Amino acid sequence: MRHMRHALIATGIALAAALLVLAAGNDFHLRILFNICVYLLCAQGMNVLLGYAGQKSLGQAGLFAAGAYGAALLTTRWDLDPWLALILAVGIAGVCGVLIAAPSLRVRGPSLAMVTLAFGIVVEKLVTEAEPFGGAMGIYAIKPLTIWGEPLSMAQWVWLGIALCLVTQLLLANLLTGRHGRAFLSLQADEVAAGAVGVPVLRTKVLAFVIAAVTCGLAGALVAQQNQYINSDFITFHLSVFILLLVLFGGSGSLAGPLLGAVTLTVISALVARWTWIEHFVNGALLLFALYAMPKGLAGAIAGAAARLRRRPDRPQGAAPAASAAVALPVREGQPGEAPLLTAEGVCKSYGGVQPARDVAARLVPGHIHALIGPNGAGKSTFINMLSGIVRPDAGRIAFLGEDLSGAAVHAICGKGIARTFQNLRLFRELSVLDNVLLGQHARMRNGVLTSLLGLPAARREERKARQRVDAILAFLGLSHLAALPAGSLAYGLQRRVELARALATEPHLLLLDEPAAGLNPQETAELGGLLRRIRDQGITILLVEHHMDLVMAISDHVIVLDYGEKIAEGAPAAIQRDPRVMTAYLGTEPDAAPRAAGLPAAAGG
Amino acid sequence: MPSISDDITRRGFGRGTLAALLAAPAIARAQPREEIRLGFNGDLAASPSAQSGRAAVVGIRAAIEDLNREGGVLGRAFSLIVRDDLSQPPKSIQNMSDLIDNERVVAVLGPTNSGNALAWRHIPNQKRVPVMGCIGSATDITRPIRAGADNYMFRVGSVDRTQVIALMAYAKKNPRSGRIGFLTETTGYGQAGLRDLQEVAQAQGLTAAANERFNVNDTDMTSQLAKLRTAGVETALVWAQGTPIGQLMRSMDKIGYFPTVLTSWAADNLSFINAAGPTLAERPIFLRTVSEDRTPRQQAFFDRIRPQLDADSAYSFAVHGYDGTMLLARAMQQAGNTEGPAVRAALEDLQGRLDGYAKTYERPFTRDQHEALTAADQRWTCWRGGRLAAFDDAVVAGLRPEDFRG
Amino acid sequence: MLATYLQVLVSGLAIGGVYALIALSFSITFTTTKTLNFAQGEFIGVGAFLGVTVLYLVSGEGSFAALAPAAAGGARYPLAAAVVGAVLGALGILLFLAAIRPFAGKPGMSWVMSTIGFGIILQSLGLAVWGPAPVNMPSPFGDDVMRLAGAGVRPQEILVLAVAVVLMAALDLLMRRTRLGKAMRAVAHNPQVAALMGINVAAVMLGAFALSSALAGVGGLLVAPIASASLFMGMGIALKAFSGAIMGGLDNPRGCIFGGFALGLLEAGVALWEAQWREIVIFLLIILVLAIRPNGLFGARALDKV
Repeated sequence: MRHMRHALIATGIALAAALLVLAAGNDFHLRILFNICVYLLCAQGMNVLLGYAGQKSLGQAGLFAAGAYGAALLTTRWDLDPWLALILAVGIAGVCGVLIAAPSLRVRGPSLAMVTLAFGIVVEKLVTEAEPFGGAMGIYAIKPLTIWGEPLSMAQWVWLGIALCLVTQLLLANLLTGRHGRAFLSLQADEVAAGAVGVPVLRTKVLAFVIAAVTCGLAGALVAQQNQYINSDFITFHLSVFILLLVLFGGSGSLAGPLLGAVTLTVISALVARWTWIEHFVNGALLLFALYAMPKGLAGAIAGAAARLRRRPDRPQGAAPAASAAVALPVREGQPGEAPLLTAEGVCKSYGGVQPARDVAARLVPGHIHALIGPNGAGKSTFINMLSGIVRPDAGRIAFLGEDLSGAAVHAICGKGIARTFQNLRLFRELSVLDNVLLGQHARMRNGVLTSLLGLPAARREERKARQRVDAILAFLGLSHLAALPAGSLAYGLQRRVELARALATEPHLLLLDEPAAGLNPQETAELGGLLRRIRDQGITILLVEHHMDLVMAISDHVIVLDYGEKIAEGAPAAIQRDPRVMTAYLGTEPDAAPRAAGLPAAAGG
Repeated sequence: MPSISDDITRRGFGRGTLAALLAAPAIARAQPREEIRLGFNGDLAASPSAQSGRAAVVGIRAAIEDLNREGGVLGRAFSLIVRDDLSQPPKSIQNMSDLIDNERVVAVLGPTNSGNALAWRHIPNQKRVPVMGCIGSATDITRPIRAGADNYMFRVGSVDRTQVIALMAYAKKNPRSGRIGFLTETTGYGQAGLRDLQEVAQAQGLTAAANERFNVNDTDMTSQLAKLRTAGVETALVWAQGTPIGQLMRSMDKIGYFPTVLTSWAADNLSFINAAGPTLAERPIFLRTVSEDRTPRQQAFFDRIRPQLDADSAYSFAVHGYDGTMLLARAMQQAGNTEGPAVRAALEDLQGRLDGYAKTYERPFTRDQHEALTAADQRWTCWRGGRLAAFDDAVVAGLRPEDFRG
Repeated sequence: MLATYLQVLVSGLAIGGVYALIALSFSITFTTTKTLNFAQGEFIGVGAFLGVTVLYLVSGEGSFAALAPAAAGGARYPLAAAVVGAVLGALGILLFLAAIRPFAGKPGMSWVMSTIGFGIILQSLGLAVWGPAPVNMPSPFGDDVMRLAGAGVRPQEILVLAVAVVLMAALDLLMRRTRLGKAMRAVAHNPQVAALMGINVAAVMLGAFALSSALAGVGGLLVAPIASASLFMGMGIALKAFSGAIMGGLDNPRGCIFGGFALGLLEAGVALWEAQWREIVIFLLIILVLAIRPNGLFGARALDKV
């Protein structure tokens, strides 16, 4: 088990480090070890935020400050017990994590860097200027942690630091190797797709920020209590950059990365200190060239070297098994009865002058394949987007199983049982096929953050259950042999199928497919038709947007035609083929002109 | 750039895996056991005040050169180990531990920035290693950690409190002072000074009509000055580094408001007159530890080290570094060994006279008094014609010892 | 009271001009390469010192640390500006080759690290050559305060504003009217398509970095007589300029210019109230603006087509 191995290695390293304390020559070596622990804590949380959730924060110094000043003020001003103060300080930092996350939720890229950077500067200025923080004069006589009434010795501080790092590492490994780790990674890859497969995007982002805040705050509180003094010069933009570097240099998104980064950078800094100004050059050169030589940081470089040594074949051998008809898809309990699954009434949407939806109404019947067709720009994708919550209708009502969907978040709609695929593939390309499909199970799993963090049996049970279901889905779609490969490395047709698998993994009542046959060759298209019928036979209702009229006419039970945002016709495929309004919409001329052109509905069905 | 690290000595690191790891590149070079190792920990290249740190190192090296030429102390030669703290407190703390625990120095000089001394002063006190401050001037640096505790922090250099007391006495004595106002920089230096200003003002029965702050990098202080003017301030007490004081003078020029300006000694810095220009530079009055009217002996020392200094005005830091090293050496000789407690005790009861370059020291320290340079060693100074000059007026002439309260 | 407000306006516009210039320099590299030079602050400081060095060498007046006012007279200041522009432009190309090109277009933020590293090395070299102390730079039009309805203005402040406005107007014209500008905008819009259209994308990116760095250097030269040249002066300016750029919208050069000026005025305005809360107010405001408009006030709304 990878998980067990990680726990064993981490514990082994911690024990070795704890023994090293005994062998350390003097307090300076202990201090270096303590600094490593402090920076490791910062890096561990930052790795969740940056390496997993993909949020680049340049304001970690502000969170470090929250912990440091929390511990300082609680022990000096309110005279609290140092251990209690430590815990409260970490809590304060966590709250600050929510504060920094709130404005960061909508922004990406450089703007996110700016928001976090601004947060860091605001905190830096606040502790410099505001009276209670003592400014650059600092706060004296911060109570150190004690054991049996005695302040910790330097060696005890290091042991405490090692223990905290180990606990953090084990907890985070629990969290990151399962449901929530995948959710973080999905945010990094594609927030829209993450929401659509049921990951609560905002809540997950806040969680990542809070984790980073908690570990950074813990590090800050430790520094303040160990040193018994803190001033505003500790809190600088450089610290924020350094925390970012620890993760990037060590290997972002790797469990070992923070440790490698913290150890290497701290030791290098201690080593070059004796050559004074050379230190600047070394730091600069490291920054400039390290990632050039090691794009994935130290952890990536080591893993790469190890892989080359082992010379494992990249791709699994063996032929592709045919899609298995014998397997049943996992479906959710409480199959809908005879009532309409979904009803839309008077749905309108406009972007400036363009109106992709004008008073559209639709009823989807359980167990049917519905098709939504129309010329380009008719508003088909917009309609799917509105059903799945990605686009908010300006007016109208959409009800699913009798429940109004207006205002529901994307992930919540997915949770109710509507899954979707995208016109332009939105797979999590770096993740394996298995992880992609497991992400579909996200909303179906019941293990909360605490359960996962502590690695309770419930979390493992849920993971096992999800794994079984995903295995069934992969077998159903004939993808089992590709489970370990990165989704982005597959051929286009297979990627489409993985996306379908991911949608099915949410165990939907209703499956929305946006041009599932786009880019497929005729044979693949024909296979897709069979596949969709089999999915319907499992009791899943389908609404597909499609241009391949052969496919539409062959498999649909009911067709809806949109043109310029208006529903112009609906009914059985045969009736639609004969509808004059449909022909006009497609050809812009009278029905008799050129019936076989442009994939006209009449061409299909046979 | 004068290389500060060229003759840094190294030695083996002792035992343990970590020690081996750390020591790997620094191949142990056997040193005679007898060498007395001094350390310097301060900013040498990361902020504008780094030039003061570099000047102090020049002075310390000169002192070691002189000492070693005479055969050292206790028959042992001196050596200096330098650490740059990049003006970051965590780095400075780590350096302190490196010097004391790892390099086993017997005394440390520095740091450049007062805030860093405050961040680590508990370490030398715990490890009982004397520290001789020679640059940072915050009053709190040499205060004991607890009342009555042994204090290992000494200083040969300017002390904010001493200067503030003298300046405040001037403000109180001057019949044309009018209302006073404070203008301080938001760094550790400026804010420590502000606290001294407030406490001393209270002790002397003065109240400030305005109290404004500015950032060390500000170039436009007109809004703060406008508030002082609105408050009717006619005497401004300024605590900041050289460049921002210069910018402050320019902003005064801009809005045409010129109160009497009493400033920190940083106005002696070349960066001040560079920023203010020679005309505006003549307005502030401040105190220095080294007079511009050098004795022939001082002049000889100046000529000797000037090539290694970044600026003329950095000379005083070199003097502090030199005198501080000499006092440490004298204390070791008196103690008969280099053990921290013995050296501290010797420093607190130093016999005989020592001719330094700042002054002649006679029992410079006591148990409660860790400042070698006191109010009596302050020289009233101003700029005249682009050069530092002694300042004298009726108020200065009229100041009596009892005026220096606080 | 009016004089006080006028004083705020003048000060704000002068420093805002510098912010706008640097903000524009951020925008130039971001639009063409989707990367930013995090060493822009160091470039500003090096530009200032290089300017002082040129003035010192060609004039021979006074000492390096305290140049005589006449040293900047005549054609010397423009000459210094030309040298600074050329050298910093070359440095920008070096930066692009060493720190940007290996990472451009790849996911992640490797270029953040590499440009910061480049900046640290540059600053260390600068310290080795010039030392850490700030140095005075005279203004070409002297240093006497002029009175405008009670408010004091120095000639350099007007010069900064004028040069910044002229440079920005010229760049705006360049981007909109010339072939080169059109090529840059094409690369900004879509490098692949631009390459297919026969545009030398690599050359355009090189040019963008040269231009951006030259602007940073000239910016340093412009502020040096106001703030005195220091290798540490750039950090604060670059940070504010970056904030201005983000606030205005990084992908909109005119928005960046607006953001820079707005920040300068805001800074001067808040200082009127409580100077020490200036940064806190400004950066809280930036957080607020971005929380409401994630792409800045004038940034294009990134339409995420689903």
